[in-house]
Amino acid sequence: MTGVRRGALGLTLLGLVGLIGLFWMSFFWVSTEVNQGVVQRIFYVHVPAAWTSFLAIGVSALCSAVYLWLRDDKLDRAAMCAAEGGLVFATIVLLTGPLWGKIAWGTYWTWEPRLTLTLLLWFIFVGYFMVRNATEDPEKGKRFAAVVAIVGALDIPFIHLSVIWFRSLHPQPVVAKPEGPTLPPDMLTTLMVGLGTFTVLFFGLFLFRYAVEGLRSEADLRARRSAA
Amino acid sequence: MFAVGMVLALVALFVGDSSPLLAQDTGLPGTRVAGQNLRPYWHVFAAYTIVIALIGGWAFSIARRLRSLEERLVD
Repeated sequence: MTGVRRGALGLTLLGLVGLIGLFWMSFFWVSTEVNQGVVQRIFYVHVPAAWTSFLAIGVSALCSAVYLWLRDDKLDRAAMCAAEGGLVFATIVLLTGPLWGKIAWGTYWTWEPRLTLTLLLWFIFVGYFMVRNATEDPEKGKRFAAVVAIVGALDIPFIHLSVIWFRSLHPQPVVAKPEGPTLPPDMLTTLMVGLGTFTVLFFGLFLFRYAVEGLRSEADLRARRSAA
Repeated sequence: MFAVGMVLALVALFVGDSSPLLAQDTGLPGTRVAGQNLRPYWHVFAAYTIVIALIGGWAFSIARRLRSLEERLVD
C-alpha cells in the first residue's frame, strides 16, 4: 500500500469514527434549540457540509490555477478529485437545507440570494465535469475545466456575504463573524466536531480518489506502451 | 447516477407530502413547534440519511473504481 493510500485509509477511518460521534452528539447530547425545536439538528450536518464543499472547491480552484501555470497533470488530477468531493458535499447542502427550510420557513425552496448562489455553484461544478469530457482533445478539456473551477470558486465569497449584503430569509452567520461565535457552548462544540469530521472525511476520500486517478494514469500509460 | 437517484427519490417524497404546516409556537412550556407532530423528526432523519447515503455512495464508488483499476493493472 502506498503512502497516499495509507494516509487516506487513516483519515477515512478517523472521519468515520468522528461521524459516529457527531451523530451521537446531535441526537443524544446537544440541547434542543428553543425556537425551532428538533429540526435545528440538521444544522450540525448542513453547515459542515457547506464548509467542506467550499474547502473542496477552493482546493480544486487552487490546483487548477497552478495547473494552468505549470501544466503538471498531477495538479489537474488533484483539482478533479477535489471538485468531485465539492460536488458531493454541495449536494448534501442543497438536499438538507430544504428539509430544514420546510419546517423553519414553510417552504422547501425560495429564490433568495444564498440559496440561488449555492445552486449556481452546484451547476458550475456539474459543468466542470461536462466541459472536461466534452472536448476531443483531453488537454484542452483539462484547461477549460480549470478555468471553470476558478470561476466557480469566485462564487464562494458571494455565497458567504449574500446574507449580509441582501435582505435574506437565510439566517446570518453565527460562527464566522467579526465578534466571534454566538452559539451556546454545547451547540458550538457539536458544530466544531461536525466541521472537523467532514473535513477529515473529505481529505481521506480525496486522497483515495487521487490514488485512483494515479492508477488510471499508470494503466493508460501501460496500455499505450503495449499498443506502440 | 447514485446522486441522481437520491435526488429523484427525495423529489418524489416532497411532491407526495401533503401534511399541513405546523401551528405557531404559543410560548408555553411543552408547546414548542417541534413537539406538535413527528414531521420535524422525519426531516432530521431524512437529512442524516442523505449525509450517510451521499458520503457512503462516494466512498463506495471510489472503492469500486480502485478495485477495477487494480484488476486491470494485474492483467
